[in-house]
Amino acid sequence: MFYTISRRNILLTSIFIFLLSSMLLGCTNASDEASTSKDDNENMLTIAWPRDVGAMNPHVYNPSQLFAQSMVYEPLVSYGTGGELKPNLAESWEISTDGKVYTFHLRQNVKFSDGTSFNADIVKKNFDTVLNHMELHSWLGFLSKIASTEVIDEFTFKMTLTEAYYPTIQELAVVRPVRMLGEAGFPADGDTSKGVEKAVGSGPWILDEYKQDEYAIFTRNENYWGELPKVEKIKVKVIPDAETRVLAFEKGELDLIYGEGVISLDAFKQLESTGKYETTISDPVATRQLVLNTTRETLSDERVRQALHYGFNKEAMVKGITSGLEESADFILPTNLPYTSDIDVESIDYDVKKAEALLDEAGWILPKGKSVREKDGKPLEVEMMYDSAESIQKAMAETLQSEWAAIGVKLNIVGVELAVQVQRFKDNEFEINFFSNYGAPYDPHTFINIVAKEGFGFNEAISAYPNKAEILKQIALIPQTTDEAERQQLYTSVLTSLQDQGAILPISYIKKTAIYQKDVTNFNFSANRDENPFTGISIK
Amino acid sequence: MGTYIIKRIMSIIPVFLLAALLTTGMIHLSPVDPAEAYLTAAHIEQTDEILAQKRHEFGLDQPFFMQYVNTIMKICQLDFGISYVSNKPVWDEVIYRIPATLQLALGSLFLAVLVSVPLGFFAGVKKNSAIDHFSRLLSFFGASIPSFWLGYILIFFFSVKLDHFPVEGIGTWQHLVLPSVTLALPLIAMYTRLLRTSILENLQEPYVLFARTRGIQEKTIMAKHILRLAISPMITGLGMNLGKLLTGTIIVETVFSWPGFGRYFIEAIFNRDIPIIQCYVLIAASLFILSNLLVDLIQMYIDPRISRKEGQQR
Repeated sequence: MFYTISRRNILLTSIFIFLLSSMLLGCTNASDEASTSKDDNENMLTIAWPRDVGAMNPHVYNPSQLFAQSMVYEPLVSYGTGGELKPNLAESWEISTDGKVYTFHLRQNVKFSDGTSFNADIVKKNFDTVLNHMELHSWLGFLSKIASTEVIDEFTFKMTLTEAYYPTIQELAVVRPVRMLGEAGFPADGDTSKGVEKAVGSGPWILDEYKQDEYAIFTRNENYWGELPKVEKIKVKVIPDAETRVLAFEKGELDLIYGEGVISLDAFKQLESTGKYETTISDPVATRQLVLNTTRETLSDERVRQALHYGFNKEAMVKGITSGLEESADFILPTNLPYTSDIDVESIDYDVKKAEALLDEAGWILPKGKSVREKDGKPLEVEMMYDSAESIQKAMAETLQSEWAAIGVKLNIVGVELAVQVQRFKDNEFEINFFSNYGAPYDPHTFINIVAKEGFGFNEAISAYPNKAEILKQIALIPQTTDEAERQQLYTSVLTSLQDQGAILPISYIKKTAIYQKDVTNFNFSANRDENPFTGISIK
Repeated sequence: MGTYIIKRIMSIIPVFLLAALLTTGMIHLSPVDPAEAYLTAAHIEQTDEILAQKRHEFGLDQPFFMQYVNTIMKICQLDFGISYVSNKPVWDEVIYRIPATLQLALGSLFLAVLVSVPLGFFAGVKKNSAIDHFSRLLSFFGASIPSFWLGYILIFFFSVKLDHFPVEGIGTWQHLVLPSVTLALPLIAMYTRLLRTSILENLQEPYVLFARTRGIQEKTIMAKHILRLAISPMITGLGMNLGKLLTGTIIVETVFSWPGFGRYFIEAIFNRDIPIIQCYVLIAASLFILSNLLVDLIQMYIDPRISRKEGQQR
């Protein structure tokens, strides 16, 4: 006989049965849940996102995902192409001449997804809840300036500020924390900072089914006041790995992949080259910049900074590294943002001779037989910090290293984790660092504010600017200026001056990419960097 | 045997204390301040006052020894703190994700045993046969292919090209196949070779010759005597790998979008969610310790000479 039954055999068999049954049990439970989510896939758009959509709370940040919050919750004002601020839940608004009182006339006949009405009371309740936790939201300029919120009548809401702050309307278009949650969403104590009861919004989508870390299904809100989305459902699958997203897309498990850096540029180009899919690239959403720290002796000389700018072929570098998906940048902010199209700076083209002349003029001479320039016996050596997880930054740092070596500058490149990069930037422990601005609807005002802010990195980095005090004064004036022409003039002056003196060097305009199956049509990127692009999409 | 078990369980304590010391020390070695990491994750503007307040709240303003003692006390109550990102208790977050990870780990373990026992056995018994060559080739690949790459290859062929399995996710048994194979292949490689070597060694032992001369059937000698004894080193290997299996899920869960604890750990690293990282390290350490203990006990059960040896040492 092969086996005789013994206690040992029983033990080993039991272990195997346990392993097998727990495995199968796991499968059975999960498959039950999966089967409920597999209703008919008609008119459902399936997309992938690297992270779970989060708690769907309109008043808090991580881990809630901006695009998902923007599907369910709506703002009073929305951000349109070119920075146009359009009515959303507020049909119109008036601003007092001193720029302190904002009166919003709310849209009538708007219902939340649970059928309750949208009115001035709920607007006030949302604002007050957010204002009760200013420690969480102090980054959003206008919130810290709110003196009072008032309900004038059912559809009129008034907000009074302590001082004039022009970006108020623009900041109302951000995705969080000032979007409207319905009454039923508030917990009993009204404090949403710890969580919401239900995801009740007035937006075009309702969160219908959700399995944390796996997927979320949003259904069209049939009672939506605005233009109804074409597709009935959006399924968001959580796929953290970029290569897996590509494979799932190729297999047809996904209809659309969109966003910034959601798949590698190589994968995007390869998929595009097959001709089997449609692709779209957005307008610039931000500028990739280099920040040169002028508190360091080497970089304190404007001629050195300019020499570095002349000393590399930006066009070729950006094209080569990003496969043409980013565009070389002439300005430190994309020009499709408000107040940014009128900047008067000299564009810097690749010119090795000029770079060398500038370095010679600054006293950095190339000794015979050496490859690195020197001044008073000190070599011209600078360090560049980049995010080691970001392949584009790394490739750019390496390119600059070889480009600048040709003009006699030794560039040491250091890859660090993002958290360390941010920390070292703030602590002023860097020579050259990568940065990119926030995009719409935050910029240009948020960018210039962080430039002025101490302990962020920029304020210290521009220390060698002879007119630094003047720049900071102008930046402080901008939000309080009620005159449009004066504001434009101030912006032009600040942005021109910041760029002219070379401490902030534009590299490329970052863009979003989208790739989708041929049956997906009408895909358009939202002007707001954080908003979802789903409303117009249809499936043939 | 009872004393041996108690002695082994007691030996867990110093290892656990060391693991807790390392995780507490980790916070101080990191270039990023946990209070700042928390405020960044919560999107709170960092003023000196709020930083000081958070450092006090996390106990970071206390001497290192006190921080260490507090960590131990809290862990004993299964209190790993609150996640910086989700603001939920770490233990709740972990418990939610552990079943998926266990499912994957056990599935892989089951598969590894299912394949490597017969393969290793026949490779040993039929040395230099086709099956032996096959097992060598499989072991070579299993030991040398990185998990993430293997995962992509499997997805590409079996999912995208042949459409036999889904690319990602969890739900049906089909979802389990590719990630289990990815995770199991290195184990199969190792166990097959271990078992093969062990079988070959046992075949040379005098008891085999003795059994043959007694006229015991070859099948019985193989199954009852050789396999039973030869499987012992494999069980040791298995135990040493249980903890490794769970940490191995990190990559496989990420590649296959498997909603387990390993994938969550990666996110925690990127977010500098220190309480989650701490919890993961401690759980992994505990698993290594416990799985080794479990294996020792099973070994003792299979081969009572081990406990007798322990007894002699005493």
